[in-house]
Amino acid sequence: MSQARVVETDVLVIGGGIAGCFAAIKAKEQGLDVTIVDKAYAGKSGSSIAAGGWWMVFNPEWGHDHDASMEDVTVNGEYLNNRDWDEIILKEAWATYRDLVSWGVEFPVASDKIEGYWDTYFTGPRAARAPNLPWGIVPLRHRKTSPVLRTQAEKVGIKIVDRIMITDLLKQDGKMVGAVGFSYDTGDLHVFKAKATITSGGNNCFRSPGFHTACLTGDAEAMAYRAGAEITGKEFPDTHFNLANYPAWKSNAELYAAYMYFTDAEGESINGTVGFDLFMEFAVHAGRGPVIWDLDAAAPGDVEAMREYVRKRANPVEAERIGLDYTRGGKYPCIGGSAAGVSSQQTSGVWVVDTKCATSLPGLYAAGDSCGARVCGASHRGPGFGVTGAAVTGKRAGLGAAEYALQAEKPVTDEKELARLKELIYAPAQRRSGFSPRWVTQVLQNTMIPYFILYIKHGERLQAALTIVEFMRDHLVPKLMAKDPHELRLTHETANMVLNAEMILRASLFRTESRGLHYREDYPRRDDPTWLAWTKVKKKQGRMNILKEPVPREWWPDLFKPYQQRYPERFPRE
Amino acid sequence: MSSENALETDVLVIGGGIAGCFAAIKAKEQGLDVTIVDKAYAGKSGASIAAQIFWMVFNPEWTDNFDELMDTFVKSGEYINNRDWCEVILKDSLAIYQDMVAWGVEFHPDWSECIHMFPPFTGIRPKFRKAAPVLRKQAEKVGVKIIDRVMCTDLLKQDGKIVGAIGFSYDTGDLYVFKAKATVLTAGGSSYKPPQFAMRSITGDGEGMAYRAGAEITGKEFLTTFPTIASYPLWGRVTWGYLNLFPRFATDGEGNRALPFSDYLEPGPEGFRREWKLNWEFLVHAGRGPILWDLTPVTDDDIKEAQRAETKSGYRAIEHERIGLDLNQRGKIPIAGGPAGYSQAGQAGVWVHDTKCTTSLPGLYAAGDCGGTRYNGSFLTNPGLGTSGSAVTGRRAGGAAAEYALQVEKPVIAKEEIGRLKKLVYASAERKSGFSPRWVTQLLQNTMMPYFILYIRHGERLQAALTMVEFLRDHLVPKLTAKDPHELRLAHETKNMVLSAEMMLRSSLFRTESRGLHYREDYPRRDDPTWLAWTKVKDERGRMKVSREPVPKEWWPDLSKPYEERYDLRFPGEFVE
Amino acid sequence: MSIERIDPELCTGCGICVNSCPMDVIRMDEKGEKAIIKYPEECMCCDYCELDCPVDAIYVSPEKYAPLMVSWC
Ligand SMILES: Cc1cc2nc3c(=O)[nH]c(=O)nc-3n(C[C@H](O)[C@H](O)[C@H](O)COP(=O)(O)OP(=O)(O)OC[C@H]3O[C@@H](n4cnc5c(N)ncnc54)[C@H](O)[C@@H]3O)c2cc1C
Ligand SMILES: Cc1cc2nc3c(=O)[nH]c(=O)nc-3n(C[C@H](O)[C@H](O)[C@H](O)COP(=O)(O)OP(=O)(O)OC[C@H]3O[C@@H](n4cnc5c(N)ncnc54)[C@H](O)[C@@H]3O)c2cc1C
Ligand code: SF4
Ligand code: SF4
Repeated sequence: MSQARVVETDVLVIGGGIAGCFAAIKAKEQGLDVTIVDKAYAGKSGSSIAAGGWWMVFNPEWGHDHDASMEDVTVNGEYLNNRDWDEIILKEAWATYRDLVSWGVEFPVASDKIEGYWDTYFTGPRAARAPNLPWGIVPLRHRKTSPVLRTQAEKVGIKIVDRIMITDLLKQDGKMVGAVGFSYDTGDLHVFKAKATITSGGNNCFRSPGFHTACLTGDAEAMAYRAGAEITGKEFPDTHFNLANYPAWKSNAELYAAYMYFTDAEGESINGTVGFDLFMEFAVHAGRGPVIWDLDAAAPGDVEAMREYVRKRANPVEAERIGLDYTRGGKYPCIGGSAAGVSSQQTSGVWVVDTKCATSLPGLYAAGDSCGARVCGASHRGPGFGVTGAAVTGKRAGLGAAEYALQAEKPVTDEKELARLKELIYAPAQRRSGFSPRWVTQVLQNTMIPYFILYIKHGERLQAALTIVEFMRDHLVPKLMAKDPHELRLTHETANMVLNAEMILRASLFRTESRGLHYREDYPRRDDPTWLAWTKVKKKQGRMNILKEPVPREWWPDLFKPYQQRYPERFPRE
Repeated sequence: MSSENALETDVLVIGGGIAGCFAAIKAKEQGLDVTIVDKAYAGKSGASIAAQIFWMVFNPEWTDNFDELMDTFVKSGEYINNRDWCEVILKDSLAIYQDMVAWGVEFHPDWSECIHMFPPFTGIRPKFRKAAPVLRKQAEKVGVKIIDRVMCTDLLKQDGKIVGAIGFSYDTGDLYVFKAKATVLTAGGSSYKPPQFAMRSITGDGEGMAYRAGAEITGKEFLTTFPTIASYPLWGRVTWGYLNLFPRFATDGEGNRALPFSDYLEPGPEGFRREWKLNWEFLVHAGRGPILWDLTPVTDDDIKEAQRAETKSGYRAIEHERIGLDLNQRGKIPIAGGPAGYSQAGQAGVWVHDTKCTTSLPGLYAAGDCGGTRYNGSFLTNPGLGTSGSAVTGRRAGGAAAEYALQVEKPVIAKEEIGRLKKLVYASAERKSGFSPRWVTQLLQNTMMPYFILYIRHGERLQAALTMVEFLRDHLVPKLTAKDPHELRLAHETKNMVLSAEMMLRSSLFRTESRGLHYREDYPRRDDPTWLAWTKVKDERGRMKVSREPVPKEWWPDLSKPYEERYDLRFPGEFVE
Repeated sequence: MSIERIDPELCTGCGICVNSCPMDVIRMDEKGEKAIIKYPEECMCCDYCELDCPVDAIYVSPEKYAPLMVSWC
């Protein structure tokens, strides 16, 4: 174990998902030496390989309306969206789609059939009503996008190092100059020295049962936090749900679009939009659970729509394997927390100070799910923003980092700092006694995943969970132990998840209002203008500090308009 | 659902374990009509059927060491034992033993070697699963009526007196109303359905019913600990089977011997005789886990000895085979923490005033694991005192209940009261939506079972757990659902476990010291004389109130003696190299 | 809810599944000839390995399981 391998590069990209690949390719275009390092296999990991929905595009030629789009995102994001970024996403989305096409990404329908695809597709009487989106969404094929991006990155000469878990960023004289990590195959230390570093390590989750993001443990945000960066938006959770008996069921797009019909336990229909909001949690909390996906109510058109979906987009074996036959109906209880610990996409991440994805740490750029560009504000704006946002922020970060790298000197690393980080990496492997990462992860899940912590929040409960998480942080995490390099990965992931839990709890406690996906029972309404603001957590003298960053006044809603008009979505009892 | 069965009896015994059977048989001796109701099959449920090791008997012919035993009680219970009860347990135990012999309980064939198993106490060893069923048979023989598979949910109260209980059959869903002149509560201890100890039928129902009726519950801060094999936490029996190997071969993660408590005790020959209680938790908390059962140094003779003991006690080797445990292969087996939330007879239970098991509610007697007789004090003095203590207290309760029943009139119970309780029985079944008892139980387990809540306590963490438990109590429990009578049982059990958790947390928060099995990181020493006292929780207008009941002065230790002499067990940090 | 088996008869040892698995559940055996389930505890039931295996040697079970909470370990 722990032979050091040193890689020198101009631009280091940590995490090779959609964001990472776009970033790397863009940086490479500037003629630099670019390296992607990924803790799994770049292009086959993270949210990017799990996503099988839609790519957002904006093209006036297709009839997309700029002002309506801006208005839509703003009302939906409840005024916490960063409009500068929204303008950029709308403007640059089309180019990212063209990139995909030119690099050979396969789509389930031909491009001239895309327009209106959503409407023709969800045709069943109980399909999600196609929201009248002012922009376009291009359907994707499951698992057919990010692997192509990887191939493209390889083609243009980007070096890719797989199966290396990055644990910390390297810092020299206040500048970020690379990262350290280890191979969980060999246990070897890997040191990456870089002029500029892009963090695109994706989201967090608590190894939740569904959503297939268990490999994402908030490493990117945790590393950046430890290096001194600011992390924003941790109070906004993702709210995906799934079938109770098959919490990891994959072709669940039927649940979310093709056949959206849910009832409470009494058979009363409950409403939801495309499934990104809290309607199930509210029903359950009110004692109306379990929520049922009621296939008995499916009309022939619904059944056809689901079949069609599976035929074109998903893996038919899956439905078979769980004995799901649309024609036979059935009532399927749903569970929440399928994506527990995931932050709403394009909301949380490392705070960026400009539209080139620079962070508060010189030399560090953030992209994709780990970029705190706040594109969507307090609520997810439905399909497309995740992947497209990742691509656009990726490209911007790639360019920003390249420009920086072109001016920067070759970094000299501080050997003492390196030795310190190395010790941190291997400390759990050195320990022969302590706590197993699997047990600590389980304790963390038990603490964080119940709906009344993650979704239906209350100051007292958040505080109680925080007490336990602090205990884990102070007492269990410092004594994590690893028997082999695989477990060493687990220990670092566990430590990062615990840190993320603390961020989520503190940000949620701090935001003493309800907004978008953040709901506080004890503060059940939006509080304008106090909370027309973003939260940021930042390390200060070893403690987690929390700050408020006001939204610029010109982006505020018209406060003379009545509350009900400002906020069309209603929280319970509103 | 809910055809109604009304039964009348002189003495109602709720729970037919060791305590319940002895109570019923004793009450029957007074010529009364006696009924046992059990939520499973009386004699084959609860801790009594799981208990396997040792049954304390004080027989002056074997050992004439009464004073030494009293001394051991008091020292290990750390001065909060009820000494009156200690005497009663010792003195009555012989008669209990003789009864069992007469009734045909089978003992370990070679039991003379067992007599000294846990010195200075002596005792006997019934065969595995061979004691409680015989007690049931005996009860049947003397004419005690037994009603199985009926779960009691609440006590009946009339004019401040307890006059029976209400419950339901989880086979048919039928309601059962038991009207009785006197009621003996022997429904066992509490637990959170732990993955070990084969005692998931014990959910604190007895304490829950008594609490709701207005009784006081004591000692909830004192829990039993017992570890299990990490990969097969449900196979508690395995660890029991090789019990005698355990203390000798446990190590911490670094390979140091991890004798239970030994780090904090002078390593004398009696060191581990006082049961391995919190020591492993201390080691784990100090980051020295996992605790391993390290079989590498085991000799062939050790193995033979263990196997011989196994065969004799009546275990089936199949259990070991099934999990691939082969002593001959040696190996290191990780150990996990165990029977979450269980406390034994003489630790926690319904407060009793005297040595007749009288509670603060006229007509109600409590014994066995749910009797707050406090003879163990803050510790589990000896592994033989659960069974024999349950038998002794059970018998006493039966006698006293009979005496009381002989003096009182046949109870008349207001229809409205029955109506009110009946509603409570079926509330979860009526609800079509809400929360499933299995999920709420899982949440409760997740909240309560980590060692840093249950065993290594701290005010902040207890408070955090309490916040969660209060949420469960206020928000989830009132919305529990039950699809069928089986789930109805689960719903009531869940409610009782949540209540039990609240009692445990409040009592633990209240006792701002460490003593015996109650360890507070933030109060790591005994606090004499403030805490020469028992805790009690009681319902007061819908809220749980905790109070302190001082131990009589004559039972205090000599406070002029230095702390170290008063207390020979050391908590972490008290250990002087 | 995890990968249940890799059929050693079918497996050709191509190693694709090792890279498909983001969770490091699958490794090659000591000789590097067959894929084996090395760390099933980490499986997230995403099916990627099964979908990518060219000879259909892998089966992932969709059933739910929940680990038991124990006091420590
Ligand atoms: C099931 C699912 C469905 C979705 N559907 C849609 C959709 O239809 N439309 C949409 O717009 N969005 C969708 N999203 C969101 C979208 O997929 C993401 O927003 C987007 O893919 C994020 O890309 P990324 O490159 O930022 O992160 P990721 O794709 O998560 O990439 C992160 C990469 O970093 C690597 N990594 C992590 N930690 C480390 C470390 N410590 N060291 C080295 N490498 C590391 C990971 O292995 C991974 O390769 C979906 C997400 C999921 C999970
Ligand atoms: C695994 C294990 C090993 C043990 N080993 C020993 C040992 O070696 N030596 C020793 O001295 N002690 C031992 N003990 C402790 C000892 O077994 C107990 O102290 C004793 O058996 C308690 O008897 P009891 O009759 O009070 O309770 P239990 O035996 O628990 O009986 C309670 C009865 O009440 C019934 N009941 C519960 N709730 C309801 C309800 N709502 N309505 C109706 N009926 C209900 C149950 O079904 C059960 O039959 C052990 C305990 C366990 C769990
Ligand atoms: S992908 Fe299939 S054939 Fe290839 S190594 Fe894995 S199991 Fe074997
Ligand atoms: S199902 Fe997913 S996590 Fe499980 S082994 Fe296969 S690729 Fe890995």
